[in-house]
Amino acid sequence: MTSPRLTSLKHRFSDWGQAQDYYLESKLTDGLPIVPPSEDRVRAMLEFAGLEPDQVIGVETIRNKHITAEKVAVNSVMAGCRPEYFPVVVSAVAACCDRSFNLHASSTSTNGVTVLVLVSGGYARQIGMNSSTGVMGPSNQANATIGRAVNLVKTNFYGSVPQDMDNSTFGHPGKYSFCFAENLDASNWPSLATDKGFDGESSTVTVVAAYSPLQVSVFGGKDPTSFLTSVAHAMIGLGPSISEVLVVLSPEVMQYVNEAGWSRQQVQEFLWGKAQLPARDWIAWRRVEHPETFTDKDQLVGCVADPSRITVLSAGGAAGVYIDIIGSWGNSRTVTRKIEIRS
Amino acid sequence: MTNLEKMLVALDPRDESDHGPALLATRPPTLNGKTLGLLSNNKPHSEELLQMIAGIMNESYNIKNTVEYNKGSHQWPANSEALKEFASKCDVAIHATAE
Repeated sequence: MTSPRLTSLKHRFSDWGQAQDYYLESKLTDGLPIVPPSEDRVRAMLEFAGLEPDQVIGVETIRNKHITAEKVAVNSVMAGCRPEYFPVVVSAVAACCDRSFNLHASSTSTNGVTVLVLVSGGYARQIGMNSSTGVMGPSNQANATIGRAVNLVKTNFYGSVPQDMDNSTFGHPGKYSFCFAENLDASNWPSLATDKGFDGESSTVTVVAAYSPLQVSVFGGKDPTSFLTSVAHAMIGLGPSISEVLVVLSPEVMQYVNEAGWSRQQVQEFLWGKAQLPARDWIAWRRVEHPETFTDKDQLVGCVADPSRITVLSAGGAAGVYIDIIGSWGNSRTVTRKIEIRS
Repeated sequence: MTNLEKMLVALDPRDESDHGPALLATRPPTLNGKTLGLLSNNKPHSEELLQMIAGIMNESYNIKNTVEYNKGSHQWPANSEALKEFASKCDVAIHATAE
């Protein structure tokens, strides 16, 4: 059996250092060194996932970009991924191409948002992802390189290069990498994958056009109505024009929720109900782009449009009574895709 | 092993497919007597900016009239049907953004 032909342009270098210089000087990295994408390494990715090089993973319709498996694999190798991480990257890229995610606008806007890659289900554990202590920080290879691979696809293939097509004012540290896994041990709830409608055996990836995370210290004991009030107050700080909110409960907070017997839906509805202000208050705080659209200034306006736009899950280390909230940009919707794993 | 065989070969991560060059719309020989379209992206002040530009153009050319269309959001492309209708009503158009 012959290996499928790879069609990407081949570069020849005398040594590793020359290769690094080329990719850095050609703005094909995030400023950090890359793993040179050799044909063998790219093939290993494709073979693990059972994908042909020319298979289209997703089409971004605004720029008419047909993202092929080969190019996703090249960028995944560059990011430092192992082949077993590749199915996660593939599903994340496919999710980014869903029209409702609005990849083009979210990756070019002056607003500094990045693609958060959130993994749910048993595959995260299988490939050694971190869902516990320091979950959003460095040191875990899978978390670091899966998030980096998605960002490299976005810059190298899609063209959203900082200071060029990516015009974000401040940028975002997560434009290097922002990827973590749900902590399934901490929660009594079904996994996020199951909650999104996938069967119990499935693992999923959810992409979020994510602003920077805001960690909230919560006080007032173990009553959910108490500590979730702190969270709702912080959510109001995100303003009334965000699309969705990701609420990450530390395992200790999750334990309080478990003990109180609250469902995910109860948490969503409580937060949505609390994170509302009359239109006149949002207008007074200059948080509304078009105040003239509110005819009734006493109308309650939520941080997000409805409870379903609040995604709640647990992640992080055992110690610490914290909740992390991450707003999503403009009208971008979070998108969830099943991770296709070849048996 | 030859020097060529010892070289490190690595692949290019960019989109190499060729969708053809982006082309500018055909320019009319003159703006005199033309209908000017003003396409707003709904950013605050974008309509004011477009009106200012239309005013300057009116001073320099004999613009027949102007038509306006607000595409409703800077975050999405204009609705294709509405854009076609807008295009059918004007000879030239200006799209602008502002804050």
